[in-house]
Amino acid sequence: MAWVSLVVAGLFEMFGVAMINKLHRDRNWQSLALLIFGFGASFVFLAYAMTSLPMGTAYAIWTGIGASGGAIMGMVLYGEPKDWKRIIFIMMVLGAAVGLKLVS
Amino acid sequence: MNKNWLKVIIAAFFEVFWVIGLKHADNFWAWGGTVIAIIISFYLMIMAGRNLPVGTVYAVFVGLGTAGTVFADIVFFGEAFKLEKIILILFLLAGVIGLKLVTKEKEIEGAES
Repeated sequence: MAWVSLVVAGLFEMFGVAMINKLHRDRNWQSLALLIFGFGASFVFLAYAMTSLPMGTAYAIWTGIGASGGAIMGMVLYGEPKDWKRIIFIMMVLGAAVGLKLVS
Repeated sequence: MNKNWLKVIIAAFFEVFWVIGLKHADNFWAWGGTVIAIIISFYLMIMAGRNLPVGTVYAVFVGLGTAGTVFADIVFFGEAFKLEKIILILFLLAGVIGLKLVTKEKEIEGAES
């Protein structure tokens, strides 16, 4: 369950980061409220995941999911460049996350 | 070192505190401190991102945060030092930093991505 919770935390983090961008662009209260909701939910799931996973490992994977998920979302939804360098870095992050699950 | 980079470093410092808080807080004051650390950390990171490239800011912030939390785990909380784990974390970090540095920022009409 800790790993599922960690993935859910990463998904909410992606949403929160998207709201940071929206806040920079629109500067309205809705974006701020959604930003707080996204990170709030993310932290609840991260805290739950850390009850059984080591802190440094959980944090590294959480942030890795947020970064690679954000890049994938940008490519799929917003037509950002599907540059081979970006794909390789995403594979590195996901490969390392899977490796960490196996050694934990 | 300009003031904006100093903000990023202070943000990363508070980040390590809130991560410790999320794992170890067990009473009202510890949770309150964790929430305050989250607010300070994010506020400084977002403000630094208004004057510096956001991708680079995030890469540095995450790199410092990961190093800080892994260090705190081993030094303060007695987590076992496992070489394969450290190597995988470094690999993951290299992926995140690389990803942020190769991503071109969209600077359209002052919009910051």
